[in-house]
Amino acid sequence: MRSLLDKSNPPVQYDFIRHVGTRTMETFALSEPVLLVLLSLAEQPRHGYSILKDVESMSAGRVLLSTGTLYGALQRLLNNHWIERVQEDDTPRDRRTYRLTSLGRRNLQMEIERMRHLAKVAALRLARKEA
Amino acid sequence: MAVTVYCWLLWLYPGSYRQEFGEEMASVFRRARSELPPALAARISFYRRELCGLLSGALRARLDRLFGPAIPFRRFDMQPQFRFPRSTVFLMLVIFAGTLLTIAKASSIAGDISGSVWPSLISVLILMLLTMCAAAAVVWGILHSLRRSGAHRLENVQSWMYSVESSGKR
Repeated sequence: MRSLLDKSNPPVQYDFIRHVGTRTMETFALSEPVLLVLLSLAEQPRHGYSILKDVESMSAGRVLLSTGTLYGALQRLLNNHWIERVQEDDTPRDRRTYRLTSLGRRNLQMEIERMRHLAKVAALRLARKEA
Repeated sequence: MAVTVYCWLLWLYPGSYRQEFGEEMASVFRRARSELPPALAARISFYRRELCGLLSGALRARLDRLFGPAIPFRRFDMQPQFRFPRSTVFLMLVIFAGTLLTIAKASSIAGDISGSVWPSLISVLILMLLTMCAAAAVVWGILHSLRRSGAHRLENVQSWMYSVESSGKR
């Protein structure tokens, strides 16, 4: 069964790449708040409060970010060039807008692919258990 | 009042962080607070969440500043490439200082050591080595039982080999 899974799902090699390959840490699992922040910015550029509300709405009120958590995540994403600030001259300093970079979008797609693969494996395992 | 306390708490963050995000954070907090529902439970939950987020964020920012982003916090470390961790430099300096202190201490008591002490010193060193090996084996055993030793990753090597083979056939 394992070999069958491996054949149908080559992305099993993720973990190996993460520790040995040259694209270090690009394929790791994101925490849920960070994933939701990225998903929020995937749709359109947003400012802090808008991200906060969008995350709450996307998770149906389950994930409520505090401003400390939100800006901690934004700072890390900015430092790693996953997101960037939208340069607008007339925007006040307390309403700066953020958007995904191409690197952030690519990494988000990889993460979604990883989750899709995991969900597929989980469904197969559960179906096998029930059978 | 709450906004004033929030602004005071922002001083827990490093200066550069505060300069970059402080104003924005206070503005978002102000807006989120103004849209709170009147229920007391919701208000308490909001303030508790904000306080915890602020304290943990400040601690994280301070640690990042001291040691660099090398210390892993949950699944949050996002380094796209290898960087030499600054924490390693700090630990190396601590070890170096410890070694220097030990040498200084040993040289001060060197005169008291006579030749007959050496056999017992060697046996003590061997005992220490064996103890350390035993401790390392115990720690490794615990890590292995928690699947944190890295040994289980060998399974992934097989799947990688398979994918290399299959891509070669293609």
